[in-house]
Amino acid sequence: MNDIDIELICVRKTYGNNLVVNDINLAIPKGEFVSLLGPSGCGKTTTLNMIAGFQEPTGGEIRIRGRNQAGVPPEKRNIGLVFQNYALFPHMTVAENVGFGLKMKGTPRAEIEQTVRTALKSVHLEGLEARYPKELSGGQQQRTALARAIAPRPSVLLLDEPLSNLDLKLREAMRVELKEIQQQLGMTFVYVTHDQEEAMAMSDRVVVMSGGVITQEDKPEHIYNAPRTSFVADFIGKSNIFAVSLRPAADDRQEIVINGSSIALAIAADQPKVATAKFCCIRPEDVRVVGNDVSAKDANVLDGTICKTVNLGAHLDLWIAVDRDIMIKALVRSSRSNQLKVGNPVSISIAPAAIRLLAE
Amino acid sequence: MNRLLSGLFWISLCLILAFITLPLLVVVAASLSPSSTVTFSPADWTMKWYAALWASKWLDPFILSAKIAVIVSLVSGVLGALGAYAIAYEKCPGSEAIMAFLLSPLAVPQIVKGVAIVIFLSSAGLYALLGTPGLIAAHIVLTLPFAARMIATSIYNFDKNLDRAAQILGASKWQRIRHVLLPLIKPGVFSGMTFAFIISFNNIPLSVFLVRPGQTTLPITVINYMEYSLDPVLAAVNVASLIFILATIFLFEKLGGFSAQIHGGSK
Repeated sequence: MNDIDIELICVRKTYGNNLVVNDINLAIPKGEFVSLLGPSGCGKTTTLNMIAGFQEPTGGEIRIRGRNQAGVPPEKRNIGLVFQNYALFPHMTVAENVGFGLKMKGTPRAEIEQTVRTALKSVHLEGLEARYPKELSGGQQQRTALARAIAPRPSVLLLDEPLSNLDLKLREAMRVELKEIQQQLGMTFVYVTHDQEEAMAMSDRVVVMSGGVITQEDKPEHIYNAPRTSFVADFIGKSNIFAVSLRPAADDRQEIVINGSSIALAIAADQPKVATAKFCCIRPEDVRVVGNDVSAKDANVLDGTICKTVNLGAHLDLWIAVDRDIMIKALVRSSRSNQLKVGNPVSISIAPAAIRLLAE
Repeated sequence: MNRLLSGLFWISLCLILAFITLPLLVVVAASLSPSSTVTFSPADWTMKWYAALWASKWLDPFILSAKIAVIVSLVSGVLGALGAYAIAYEKCPGSEAIMAFLLSPLAVPQIVKGVAIVIFLSSAGLYALLGTPGLIAAHIVLTLPFAARMIATSIYNFDKNLDRAAQILGASKWQRIRHVLLPLIKPGVFSGMTFAFIISFNNIPLSVFLVRPGQTTLPITVINYMEYSLDPVLAAVNVASLIFILATIFLFEKLGGFSAQIHGGSK
């Protein structure tokens, strides 16, 4: 089962002196849902366009199903693409849009009809065959675009921020649906997005990009729990990131000191060894607000003052000043909002295992 | 304040419409009047001037004008679409300059152009082309910039993502032009052809230099007739051509659907 559908080998793209994609290596196995995640300008859309064939790489090689794609035009690559603005043909009905790919291939009419029906059923658009795109809601247009892309049964489907024009509720529903469709079809999905929640929710693997290079690629939970750089830690979820220095502590253990302060924190012994640790990352939900009843077994206890609170509904975001310039974000259940008021002194505790060292 | 502005807007709109349509009403009334004086009493109205049109004196020029206008409109549509495709879609080298050049014929007075064409044809010894072939060629020179620019505008408005969408779905270049580009710029092509048709059918300044005696277009026949007499048959001719042109616009609209340009291109 080690079929590789898409392979990027040292792919680079430059516009003049501007290096947009810098020697990317990536192998995407068949049937995997991979997200290319990064802020705008990180090179993810350029990478997608190179896979689709709309842009030729300046260097390196792109292989689809094992074959080098240099010089192969998009219409010969047999892959699907869902556009951010859907790009539905305004002069064709939903059924004509969805059947377009098969019609171009010269598929018999009866077979087209059958396939269109199946494709529309899989995106829950039955009964809208005769509508024109402008008569559809945003969500329905999105589904039509998806049905059109999957109808010719490409082995790979590329998706370019397909949910970014939908409202939040619909976006969340479509996440679940997209994942279901992908699993039913067993198709390889390459999903480009800047929305880390989307990437986390759907992907088998997340490829974080920044500045034209891949910063980290891993399963979503690993990306979240074990970010490798401060960029990833900051971009994926919320985190407290501090510049730190390592120093030896008692019992052969090590601790870190937050630069520019006297705060020292014990770190777990089984922490992966990062010889040149420069930063540490602490997720806000790992910061335990213990109030005033500190017990002896609490590790890394710091005293501070609440500076700011933001109520997020189920949770409460707290900004706690523990030293002159050191601000630590914490996430607690909002049922505690009565005790945690701005200006209140509090103690917080950070489990050593929750502190993650980062090299850069 | 807003109410005042919208009031002014409606008043000026009505005045403009009245300015355009009232003279037409006078012409219609004149074409129905029994004598050369224009009467407005429907009891006296007559159709005799229209009956007078049914003679080769008027029918032949009408058929010639219609024939020329159809050819000019078709050729302008095809050449204009090809040119606009190269300029606006493929962005051929120098496309901006060509686009600007396409405007230049509008800056040259038609009389000057007519004289130039006659001098060119006779100094080149192409006397055989004077008359109908020359008329068609000259009208195409006149109408092509209009058609090309209108089609180019609809191509500029074409969303290139649609072409990419068709491409990734496996459509070859020709299939993309045939199934995606052409249907979407069709309204532009047809409005360009309509313009070409009307400009050619009504043209006087160019035609006046190129018609042959006995083979005149309808507007030139009207001008010639006016030199000797000014009777209501002229009004009848004008009303008849007006109806003909409106019918043509209606037909082109049905075929090309330019109103679709307003509501998104799918009807």
